[in-house]
Amino acid sequence: MSRRARLAFFTVAAAALAVTLGVGLGGLPSFGSQISAYARMLNGLAQSQRHVTDVVSAISFDYRGIDTLFEEFILLSAVAGISVLLRPLSDETRELPADKAPDRSIPPPSPAVWLLAVFLSSLLVLIGIETVTHGQLTPGGGFQGGVILASAIYVVYLGTNYVTVERFQPAPLLEASDGVGASGYVFIGLLGLLVGASFLSNVVGLGVAGNLISGGTIPLLNLVVGVEVAAGFAILASEFLDQTAVIRTRRR
Amino acid sequence: MSASAVIPASIAVPLAGAALLAGFNRLLPRWARDLIAIAVALATTTLTLILMAASAGRPMIYWFSGWRPSAGMAVGIDYAVGPLGASMASLAGLLASAALVYCWRYFDSARGRHHALVLIFLAGSVDFCLTGDLFNLFVAFELVAVTAFALTGYNAGYPGPLQGAINFAVTNSLGGMSVLMGVGFLYARTGSLNLAQIGQALTGRHPDGLIVVAFALLTGGFLVKAAVVPFHFWLPDAYGSAPTPVCVLFAGVMSELGLFAVIRVWDTVFSGLAGGSGLRIRAVLLGLGILTAVVGAVMALAQLQLKRMLAFVTMSHLGIYLIGIGLLTPLGLTGASLLVIGDGLAKSALFLGVGVLQHQRASVSETKLRGRGRGLAVTGITIVLGALVLADLPPFVSSAGHALLVDAADQAGLPWMEIVIALSVIASSGAVLRAAARIWLGWGDTESSDADTGAADDPGEEAEGRSDTAGPERTQDQGERSGQQRRVPLTMVLPPLALLAIGLGLGLTSGLEEHAAVAAATFSDRAAYAAAVLGTHSGSIPIGARIVVPASPAASAGGVLTDLGQVLAALCVAGIALVRRALRLRRILAVGTGWLRRLHSGLVGEQVTWLVAGLALLAALGEWALH
Amino acid sequence: MSALAYGVVAWLFLVGIYGVVSSRNLIHLVVCLSVAQSATDILLLEIGYRSGGHAPVFVSLPAHAGPAVDAVMQALALTDVVVGAAVTGLLLALAVQVHKRAGTLDPDTLRATKD
Repeated sequence: MSRRARLAFFTVAAAALAVTLGVGLGGLPSFGSQISAYARMLNGLAQSQRHVTDVVSAISFDYRGIDTLFEEFILLSAVAGISVLLRPLSDETRELPADKAPDRSIPPPSPAVWLLAVFLSSLLVLIGIETVTHGQLTPGGGFQGGVILASAIYVVYLGTNYVTVERFQPAPLLEASDGVGASGYVFIGLLGLLVGASFLSNVVGLGVAGNLISGGTIPLLNLVVGVEVAAGFAILASEFLDQTAVIRTRRR
Repeated sequence: MSASAVIPASIAVPLAGAALLAGFNRLLPRWARDLIAIAVALATTTLTLILMAASAGRPMIYWFSGWRPSAGMAVGIDYAVGPLGASMASLAGLLASAALVYCWRYFDSARGRHHALVLIFLAGSVDFCLTGDLFNLFVAFELVAVTAFALTGYNAGYPGPLQGAINFAVTNSLGGMSVLMGVGFLYARTGSLNLAQIGQALTGRHPDGLIVVAFALLTGGFLVKAAVVPFHFWLPDAYGSAPTPVCVLFAGVMSELGLFAVIRVWDTVFSGLAGGSGLRIRAVLLGLGILTAVVGAVMALAQLQLKRMLAFVTMSHLGIYLIGIGLLTPLGLTGASLLVIGDGLAKSALFLGVGVLQHQRASVSETKLRGRGRGLAVTGITIVLGALVLADLPPFVSSAGHALLVDAADQAGLPWMEIVIALSVIASSGAVLRAAARIWLGWGDTESSDADTGAADDPGEEAEGRSDTAGPERTQDQGERSGQQRRVPLTMVLPPLALLAIGLGLGLTSGLEEHAAVAAATFSDRAAYAAAVLGTHSGSIPIGARIVVPASPAASAGGVLTDLGQVLAALCVAGIALVRRALRLRRILAVGTGWLRRLHSGLVGEQVTWLVAGLALLAALGEWALH
Repeated sequence: MSALAYGVVAWLFLVGIYGVVSSRNLIHLVVCLSVAQSATDILLLEIGYRSGGHAPVFVSLPAHAGPAVDAVMQALALTDVVVGAAVTGLLLALAVQVHKRAGTLDPDTLRATKD
């Protein structure tokens, strides 16, 4: 169908869907009026049952921990999938970026920008580590902290150049960390089976709420997820940067 | 205690295996990667088979992280393992193993990450089939989807697979969003994410606008995955250009998971609603099923690109499964589940056979392959046998499923359904048989007046020494020469034959229909399920008395004759499609269905428009049916 | 107040899909898809909101803290964000390859899979 026909069809269909959504949304309880009994129960119990102060982390890594396992693997699949999609194909080759003119070379990064990059990336690494390790105390956790850690790589690239950032992205190490982080979650879950409890049970000592080490397996899971997410996003950075900077069609 | 450890093992094993394969792929030699992947897939299959046997009497409930329900409120996430779900999970494992064996020594430029993606796909499918939590169902849905998107675009050097992957990703992602909104609505109303608990909360209530919309969004989102009209436009694009072993997984398992979710959510959550009419919901689902079956069959006949043709054949059969499910009776579900298993094995064998053709003859175009099937006799037999099994050749297990499905339709007062099903099956199998006749026997016109359907761009499949890109230097001759020198490796020939043999073996197993009937009855019993999950004690009717299975339908003369008649008719269709005298008939049919073919334009904007229209339509139909 | 809060969800979802349907650039399409995705996130968070509630973090609370909002919905929204990021990443990778192989980013001109 022509573009105009498509847009006309879409307008009608979207109007109908808008009515549908309106009916559905209209049946929701008034905004802000109540939350479910399930949520109230968890808000009340999480601190005493799991010795954590961040209930969202307790839900993600304990009460509904199996969901987070699959969520972590969604990320792993996406990273593996993207590296499969962006792999160098048989008619492509890797060439480092070079200046076309023979008597010139690409200027090195300016010292001011370089300094800014060093400062910012160090800061990001620190904040990332803090977010990962304090997930059971304050909002944060493995996913959020892992992304912050990986963004340090992007800052390094922005402040320097491809050659420099490549040194911070050793592919075998990153892939291994990705794999270890993902399988680590499964192995921590198996700990529960070993002591005769259910998979992903919280079988490590719970500690005292408010301390850094509290919540049993929750900080451990935060750690492995943080490793996996950071490594995953660093691999992504590497893959996309390769595509833009380095991979070229093989010249005949 | 050991039986209950099998349940988490069935997902822990493939997940851990996949993570280690992905993480350490550079350290492992090629043979180790293949071997580990196949071993993990086989182990998972074994575990799910054990679960299928162990849960035959009543569902096994497993609570993760040790959180058992308190006061009828579910706190954690549970798996509710039943024989129906476990058998689907076993099918997934079996097909994944077959696909990985087929991949032996190929698909290596991805260095083991391809294998990891297949294993994660498998783990997601197992979770999907076993879970008792609605949000976990969504997460598994997305996990299967993400791995599938990546696997579809594997041949990234060709625009066909890339476009197929994009269409697939955009439409199914919107389907996932629709499901999530439905989940949100149900949570807002019932305060729970547990299927049993939501079902309990909705039992006996009259559905208002919110519940109807939640039903439409949930069902519509899952129907996108199941490629039911009008959500189906992405399927031929994706299945027609994905690598062959991946198509095995898609056609055999992934689309069926969408239908599984529809009936699961219906049975556990919505079936207890008061008011409305079961007959009207049945009419909606049956209507969609019939439409899908017919459109799939017609489009399959019009295809000259083999994988795209098989994609439409798959879609047509999905319509038939939806008919079985849409009858909303345990007998219908029994028939549909046996069909899913039997057809899944046959479709996989067909795709693997076409893969051999692609590997050896460098083409999947029916017209370009005309007469070039010589030397590939085993593959020819595989494809012909697969098509006949899809046409319900007795005594394969599909014919048992077909017989039960027809019985269920009769019991529901819809005897004409048998004719509809027969026509679509005959047409879709006839298309495959026509292709086989053209390729192996050289039948059909030399200059085909049937327009070649734009299959100029054969998605090359990665194999030893073959280019994975559509470079300009790849000529037809070069492809032919390199192909005919090589023998077909055993790892490509044996898996499809093995799958067909399993289909035959299952069909010959006595008592299979009874087991399937019990499984379906367990699946459909909402009250007993809720009691088992939430631990409340309420009476339930003993399962066995629920449905009556005809004594041995496959052996009944009438059933066998009908099935053989279908097979014969399919062969006739293949003949008519090739004989010169029927040229005018074919031209008239081509013109008559031209509008339908033009609708399948492969443009993602149009596909999304149809999706939006479909969701709105489903909501309107749901309002009519549930209110 | 409810109408506006929930209306945003429907508006974002439909506008995002409109962008997908009418798009002439794959990158634009991917971004529109994530706009539609954010509509679902907002729906989840709004379902879990409670007027006058504080975040479900029980540290450094004021004297009369009041009720906390729904933490389950927040955990679900986190998962949804991850799913959205995964799909966006895959689609962008596909867009990069399409640009190389088909020479265009206009989805309406991709004709490799049609009947």
